[in-house]
Amino acid sequence: MTDDDQVFKALADPTRRLLLDRLFERDGRTLRELESHVDMTRFGVMKHLRALEDAGLVVTRKSGREKLHFLNPVPIRLIHDRWIDKYTERQVSALADLKRHLEEEETA
Amino acid sequence: MTADTDVRTTQVYNIVIKATPDAIWEAITTPGFTERYFYGSRITVTPDHYASLGPGGDVRGDEPVYEFDPPRKLVHGWRSRYDPECVDEDESRVTWEIDPQEDGTCVLTVVHDRLEGAPKTAASVAGVGWMTVLSGLKTLLETGEPLA
Repeated sequence: MTDDDQVFKALADPTRRLLLDRLFERDGRTLRELESHVDMTRFGVMKHLRALEDAGLVVTRKSGREKLHFLNPVPIRLIHDRWIDKYTERQVSALADLKRHLEEEETA
Repeated sequence: MTADTDVRTTQVYNIVIKATPDAIWEAITTPGFTERYFYGSRITVTPDHYASLGPGGDVRGDEPVYEFDPPRKLVHGWRSRYDPECVDEDESRVTWEIDPQEDGTCVLTVVHDRLEGAPKTAASVAGVGWMTVLSGLKTLLETGEPLA
């Protein structure tokens, strides 16, 4: 699996998106805090966090005895750079083509 | 809602870069590299000093270096001297960690923390700010070209 595959796969699950939303609201949360936001066993939440970590969307840091979870938005940004920019560029050039086409018709 | 929920006093970003630790270290500590991905800033890092200059020679950073361990770890102070809104806030801290992987890539982690006394700085660097730097750095090292 490529890095992009892992990111898309991680984002394809509603619970994982919910966990990311919670981290977006407030970063640096413990497993216990995150658990309280989803109706799921601790084991289930850990599994989802693991998938997010593997995809690079969540980074953990130790703080004393606690393990804190941080949202890492960089992989989403890379997908944006690689895909979205490409499509918007095409859209822009399609509009430019349309404009040229219409204007040519007018003068013809 | 407390201030803590609005302001991210510890921000963590990481990115996988296909480059050697030495190449990454050079790219984050030498002005000829940094000006190509760090908002045009010419950054020079020595074992005890972090200096950042804008394209016009304006001072963007003039901070102490707390840890200088090439090519693995760099810790320096941060003050957003380029932004009059932020310049009087407390100093915060930026940590760069370069962690080589078995597949020839490196995981680069940036932690910007101790932002409790710098809420405006925290808001201005969060998300897009650091992401632009890191995705630009990755692109530069992997393709030899800066992001368009």
